[in-house]
Amino acid sequence: MQHARAAARRKPFPWHVVVFLAPAVLIYTAVMIYPLAETLRLSFFDRTDEGARFWVGLVNFERLFLDPHWADQFWNALANNFYFFVVHMAVQNPIGVLLAALLSMTHLPGRTFYRTAIFVPAMLSVVIIGFAWKLILSPIWGVSETLLGLVGLDFLFGPWLGKEGSALTTLALISVWQYVGIPMMLIYAALLAIPEDISEAADLDGVRGMALFFKVKLPLIWPTIGIISILTFIGNFNAFDLIYAVQGALAGPNFSTDILGTFLYRTFFGHQLELGDPHMGATIATAMFLIILVGVMAYLWGVQRRMRRYQF
Amino acid sequence: MAELRIADVEKSFGKVEVLKGVDLAIQDGEFIVLLGPSGCGKSTLLRIIAGLEDQTSGTISIGGTTVDHLPPARRGIAMVFQSYALYPHLDVAGNWALGLKQAGETKEVIEERTKEAARILELGPLLQRRPSELSGGQRQRVAIGRAIVRHPGVFLFDEPLSNLDAALRAQVRFEIGRLHKQLGATMVYVTHDQVEAMTLADRIVVMHQGVVQQVGSPADLYRTPANLFVAGFIGSPRMNFLKGTARQPGSLELDHGASLPLAELRQPAGEVVLGVRPDGFAVGDGATAPVRGKVVLNEYLGRESYLHLELEAGGRVVVEVAPDNPVRLDEIVGLELKPRAAHLFDAASEQRLAA
Ligand SMILES: Nc1ncnc2c1ncn2[C@@H]1O[C@H](COP(=O)(O)OP(=O)(O)OP(=O)(O)O)[C@@H](O)[C@H]1O
Ligand SMILES: [Mg+2]
Repeated sequence: MQHARAAARRKPFPWHVVVFLAPAVLIYTAVMIYPLAETLRLSFFDRTDEGARFWVGLVNFERLFLDPHWADQFWNALANNFYFFVVHMAVQNPIGVLLAALLSMTHLPGRTFYRTAIFVPAMLSVVIIGFAWKLILSPIWGVSETLLGLVGLDFLFGPWLGKEGSALTTLALISVWQYVGIPMMLIYAALLAIPEDISEAADLDGVRGMALFFKVKLPLIWPTIGIISILTFIGNFNAFDLIYAVQGALAGPNFSTDILGTFLYRTFFGHQLELGDPHMGATIATAMFLIILVGVMAYLWGVQRRMRRYQF
Repeated sequence: MAELRIADVEKSFGKVEVLKGVDLAIQDGEFIVLLGPSGCGKSTLLRIIAGLEDQTSGTISIGGTTVDHLPPARRGIAMVFQSYALYPHLDVAGNWALGLKQAGETKEVIEERTKEAARILELGPLLQRRPSELSGGQRQRVAIGRAIVRHPGVFLFDEPLSNLDAALRAQVRFEIGRLHKQLGATMVYVTHDQVEAMTLADRIVVMHQGVVQQVGSPADLYRTPANLFVAGFIGSPRMNFLKGTARQPGSLELDHGASLPLAELRQPAGEVVLGVRPDGFAVGDGATAPVRGKVVLNEYLGRESYLHLELEAGGRVVVEVAPDNPVRLDEIVGLELKPRAAHLFDAASEQRLAA
């Protein structure tokens, strides 16, 4: 006892650890943990017409998922969001892989130019991208009908952003066009990390060209593709800006481009005649958080754990 | 049948000439070691044989056919890399099968070859492991196995042991030697380690700055080095060199005055360099011997000792003596030449003088 107390006295509380951790903890709490906790908390409340806040438990979620007024919009936005994600997975990432594979060819002239040119849109503001594409695709003064006409394909043209059937796909493809440089860069880096002598060994084995890519290189970049997929998932389920910039908060035509982000925005801040409802907004935000959380966890446990990072 | 013919091969990278006309005829079943200091072009020559690099001029033929226009996989060769270069995502069996599958071999053939290689290399229990789950020595054996399953006419090794520790190196070296006897295939082996070269080779090709200096059996190179470079490169510790003038037969005037009786010298030869290996000197009387030096270092190695002598007239030599030799530091000792220990080279051309 005596000794223990003596030891305790000799070893004072490590205040320096607290001091060094404090800035990070405080900032992270202020900008991440507190807002998140507050959002979760808000989703369990509602308010009277006079503005008094009261506890409602899970009623908000019940309304969101089941009450036709909310549920129609929610399920529509969720389905659109999935579609948005699927287009990215099916178009953006394969094209990213393809471009990276082309860029990593040693004999390609002008590699640096292509690499930069393809990456530039990812650095531009979404508002500019949205506005530019809106002009390009406009049936009235847009340039796309003329361009299609030059190759005799103008019969294909339509007011893609204005039709319910094609608006979401068009927006998803614009987003793909903007961000395809990011998976391209990540995969390009992963391809460069594969040592040259593995390709040479494959060459000696008669595995070259397409076979080299599919049998040797692709398996070695799966872990990178996995990371890109999960980043795409998170990015898409948090998306909002492009839709808002091109179609406005109502995500027209007729909500056909409404995704969770725009739905949340309308609900939280209100739009036109509708007043904002922070509690339902918080409920939607919580639902988005849970969807992303579940997706990421499923990925980490189901996919990433089985994937190996290769050491060369 | 896989003799290998390298005819007048030159290679430049831009302005840098790396190989300056290499000419070699390697017989079927021969174990050839390309030996030389770093940067002399050994790997480049090996890669040209493999088809991973194109020569600037000259031709390579394997088994009688010119292979210059053939891709690596169709040259009937297999190569083992210093870095192993295994496919990280495939297990051992998969690493071996990839090339065979690509060549359209049947399942039975692949299985049979895998079994054969696993037996030769004693890798049977490890066939389902990935490279990351193997030790360095096992990985190198897997890399050798990937060459074996191809049943090549010529095996090419590029410093296959340099990533292994000393003990493993000796073991894998022994295994490669055994493999050569077992398969009877032609092997070309690149190294800068002369122990590997001396123990494995039927013939050694010594290269320096892109030029073949000498081709011969290990004993040839050790006993009759063709020029100063080979003399200095083969043998450890290095051969000692003493400059001198041969004015008359039977005696060599060393640059620092002393005159050394030399039976090997049958005719005057002008300026020469005398080469003597450390075991070619006998330590004699410090008072009467023609060449004397002060002991500056005594390296005791158990089975022998090496004396480093500062010669009275300048220059240093290393002399092998029995470990129980009573010489002390700073003592002046005399040196005598043992019979047939002298190697004479022309000072200008650096070529060996015919004895
Ligand atoms: N792709 C290349 N471009 C330019 N120079 C090269 C290239 N490859 C090799 N060289 C040069 O050619 C020379 C011979 O290289 P090589 O790799 O054949 O040497 P080496 O004998 O195998 O040496 P080491 O024992 O260090 O492996 C070196 O001077 C090297 O700098
Ligand atoms: Mg080399």
